[in-house]
Amino acid sequence: MGRTETIGGFFWLFFSLFISYESYRLGLGKVNQPGPGFLFFWTGIVIAILSVVVIVRSFSAKASEGEKEATAGKRRLTKIVSVLIALFLYALLMEWLGFIVVTLLFFLFILGVVEKKKWLFTAAVSVLITLLTYLVFEVALQSQLPKGLLGFLRF
Amino acid sequence: MVDILNNVVYGFGVALQPINLMYCFFGVLVGTLVGVLPGLGPAAAIALLLPTTFKLAPVSATIMLAGIYYGAMYGGSTTSILVNIPGEAASVVTCLDGYQMARKGRAGPALGMSAFGSFIAGTFAVIALTFVGPFLSNLALAFGPPEYFSLMIVGITVLTYLSSGSMIKSLMMAGVGLILSGVGMDTIAGKYRFTFNVQALLDGVGVVPVAMGLFGISEVLMNLETEIKRDILKTRVKNLFPSVKDWALSAWSIVRGSILGFFLGIIPGGGAVVASFASYAIEKKMSKHPEEFGKGAIQGVAGPEAANNSAAGGSFIPLLTLGIPANPVMAILLGALMIHGLQPGPLLMTNAPDLFWGTIVSMYIGNGMLLVLNLPLIPMWVKVLKVPYWLLYPLILLFCLIGSYSLDNSAADVVMMLAFGILGFLMKKFGYDGAPLILALVLGQKLETSLRRSLIMSHGDFSIFVSRPISLAFLIIAVLLLIIPIVTQRKKLSALPDE
Repeated sequence: MGRTETIGGFFWLFFSLFISYESYRLGLGKVNQPGPGFLFFWTGIVIAILSVVVIVRSFSAKASEGEKEATAGKRRLTKIVSVLIALFLYALLMEWLGFIVVTLLFFLFILGVVEKKKWLFTAAVSVLITLLTYLVFEVALQSQLPKGLLGFLRF
Repeated sequence: MVDILNNVVYGFGVALQPINLMYCFFGVLVGTLVGVLPGLGPAAAIALLLPTTFKLAPVSATIMLAGIYYGAMYGGSTTSILVNIPGEAASVVTCLDGYQMARKGRAGPALGMSAFGSFIAGTFAVIALTFVGPFLSNLALAFGPPEYFSLMIVGITVLTYLSSGSMIKSLMMAGVGLILSGVGMDTIAGKYRFTFNVQALLDGVGVVPVAMGLFGISEVLMNLETEIKRDILKTRVKNLFPSVKDWALSAWSIVRGSILGFFLGIIPGGGAVVASFASYAIEKKMSKHPEEFGKGAIQGVAGPEAANNSAAGGSFIPLLTLGIPANPVMAILLGALMIHGLQPGPLLMTNAPDLFWGTIVSMYIGNGMLLVLNLPLIPMWVKVLKVPYWLLYPLILLFCLIGSYSLDNSAADVVMMLAFGILGFLMKKFGYDGAPLILALVLGQKLETSLRRSLIMSHGDFSIFVSRPISLAFLIIAVLLLIIPIVTQRKKLSALPDE
């Protein structure tokens, strides 16, 4: 798999070494009274060894498949990134805006901007889904969804 | 024997309460639905619906969540046969012959046989569970910390052995899961670990947000990249009841699949996916006409479908008797039980008999419901399949958002889920399997506690793990599993088609 493998290997190598260092600071304890860092120090070491194996193997393997994929989907990548941005905004804004507003905006964005459906259609579907999910989760299942801006309406 | 019968009768008393019947029905219905929908597996569905069970009684909640799991095994086969897209991983093999049968106009018998096979196997597994469960519970009472430690090590190695992709990477992911389980308060020393002064990490990393991220969000991201094509066969589904000839061909396949699946289900780390692959391989070997496999052999549908259902039933055993989840789905179920204040393990049967027997018996009932639900409702499930992906994926995302928020009414869990969604997406791209991570995350705390307790017991002598026979046996299995791939360079069962 070549380069992607090497990157993955190095990522986990640094991750595990960091964990081992942290665990060491937490205290390994003695063998007859293992401390809070004991298990994780050794887990970190094992992962580090395994990632070295992955890295070494990645050099001996042919660099082939990874490159082909990169060209295949630039448009798809923008799609994934836009969806991710929408998701994070949802998470960050949900408590302030409240479930109804944020869900409505989320669907308007996904259907209208990402999927490029017609606006009237988008609006209708978004309103419908927001209402339905609100009824199912808040009214029927009594999840406590954030009320946010519309909290004053007390529904 | 009389004891068991008494308990089963008691279980029926619990499971037949109208409220539990309702949740059982709801569970298998949702299960079939997520089984039908590609891109949403039982693990994500259970994680998603878990917060909605917080207000229910533990029994009702478990009955419903269990229903989702074995319901999904039924539903998954429908899409495999009609669309050649497995609704979830355990029905990947069903595509091979099921879709070919459908192309030859035999979609009806294929669907029918997979439903009947699933029903027979599911029922077999539940009956076996009834008898094996109490036996194992008693056995497990003799387990001390070293035995638990070794057993969990076996569980993790089995899963890494079976999981897709490189075993080295799977082991690494198990290690990462273990480390994640250490985040938060160390209960023995009373010290915070790996929290880096982040408020959200003080309570540790929850299984549910991680599972939703790794299985739900990342799956959607993957699909956005590849765009699923779905050509639903236009054939009308008729003759759902298989003919006498079909039965004659399939009867033994179902029997073999049931038995095989059950035992593969019990082994921690095994489970429905492996069982279905193993059964297909065996059926092909046993058949007098192996050349028909892949061209629409009904045994290739009956065997694996029986095996995956039986395994789904079997995998409840280690959870209910030992407190050890056999696969990621059971791991989430374990989390669910713990949220409801129950500690799965050998004492569950005595401490919460209503839960133990009620859940088991509800599976008999649920299997019956599924048979009734599946055959007449197939046209409806086909309609569900026609929901376009541009509508389906924002819905799945929304459910994940709601689900992770409702866990603790905190947006921090949502952010954590999204972070693991991205990680899961990258892991899939780089060929790392998420299942070992989840299993290790769930087992982590127990694993660490039993390791530390064992070492305290033995005054720091590691030989305690090999001087006790049960523990030694477990460790030998684990070591064998680690050595076999190095020696044999075998091709993985689960690596055949991509997950």
